[in-house]
Amino acid sequence: MRDDAWLEALAGELRRQGVPHDTARHVLAETAAHLWDSGDEPLRAFGPAQSYAAAVAESVRPAPARAVPGGPVRLEVVGVSKRYGRRTVLREVSLTVRAGQVAAVVGANGSGKSTFLGVCAGLVSPDRGEVRVHGTLGYCPQGGGTSDFLVPDEHFALVGAGRGMSRQDARERGRGAAAALDWDPRGAGQARHLSGGTRQKLNLVMAGLGDPDVLLLDEPYQGFDRGSYLDFWQQVHRWRDAGKAVVVVTHLLDARDGVDTVLDLTRREATR
Amino acid sequence: MELERRSQWLRGVLDLCVLGLLAQRESYGYELIQSLSAAGLGTIQGGTLYPVLLRLQRSGQVAAYWREGAAGPARKYYRITPEGGQTLRRAAADWQSFAGGVDVILREVAAR
Repeated sequence: MRDDAWLEALAGELRRQGVPHDTARHVLAETAAHLWDSGDEPLRAFGPAQSYAAAVAESVRPAPARAVPGGPVRLEVVGVSKRYGRRTVLREVSLTVRAGQVAAVVGANGSGKSTFLGVCAGLVSPDRGEVRVHGTLGYCPQGGGTSDFLVPDEHFALVGAGRGMSRQDARERGRGAAAALDWDPRGAGQARHLSGGTRQKLNLVMAGLGDPDVLLLDEPYQGFDRGSYLDFWQQVHRWRDAGKAVVVVTHLLDARDGVDTVLDLTRREATR
Repeated sequence: MELERRSQWLRGVLDLCVLGLLAQRESYGYELIQSLSAAGLGTIQGGTLYPVLLRLQRSGQVAAYWREGAAGPARKYYRITPEGGQTLRRAAADWQSFAGGVDVILREVAAR
């Protein structure tokens, strides 16, 4: 009984760590066989499911072949400045992101991170400077962005329609992307009944619908628990490996998040 | 302290010991643990051994297949590959000279 609970936790953690489904299946079967043969307590033989899954993920990860790729430039921001009244929010900010790269935008509260992303998305017009996007764009706001009285499937259909997808295609892809975030949106009800974290998952799924070339993500993990936070970074890495250019606004940057470029908007040193 | 040192030694050679055992005959995880213990290396936990096996498999040093047992769930058997055999021969020679050097120094101490 206790073995089952532990194995189930291991299955969840392996998925969370991005271990391929087939590999995970084999690991689970082998672990179960070991427990059966040895009569060991899982916790004693393998430790906590979470750390064992991390060790497995480390062992099956392909050799670090990923040199920073020189893919084509997808996003070019050159010398952007923006003031609100007397307050200068952005001063001469530049950033280049190529296909297959992740850029993190960091900085204290009020340093203009969201304004910067809004400029990239074309939602905020800069006073000076230029933004060039080569390809299609997906944008995930920090909050809002969902429609209170629509269910998730309707969100997918709506966004999909704007990107030339059929209703069914949009729904299926939306559900698939949601599953990668450990969320099943079927029967989830209207968006106004979703928790903050789940609404952000909905936003994230919508940003990725239709396979845009550039993804702009504005602290999309508000309200996520630890697991969902890891799922989120896994998703970012999948996008990167699929050749997307990803820009993530974040105030907590972990060395393990594996970003290629960091843009620090903290006052004065607001370049590169 | 002593235990910690032993586990550090083991960490450096566990993959080679596993290859060495698999060079004798193919085997599965739990049996390998028993063999390692019988060889005097102490009890290795599953959480330590299986990631080593996964790494060896990923790098092509061992191959794996599933075999139904007479009772209980199927077991994942490991077999050394020609590439693994090559690694093992090279490393075994390296180890002989390394351990020989340590031995020359420490033997003096033990004899005193």
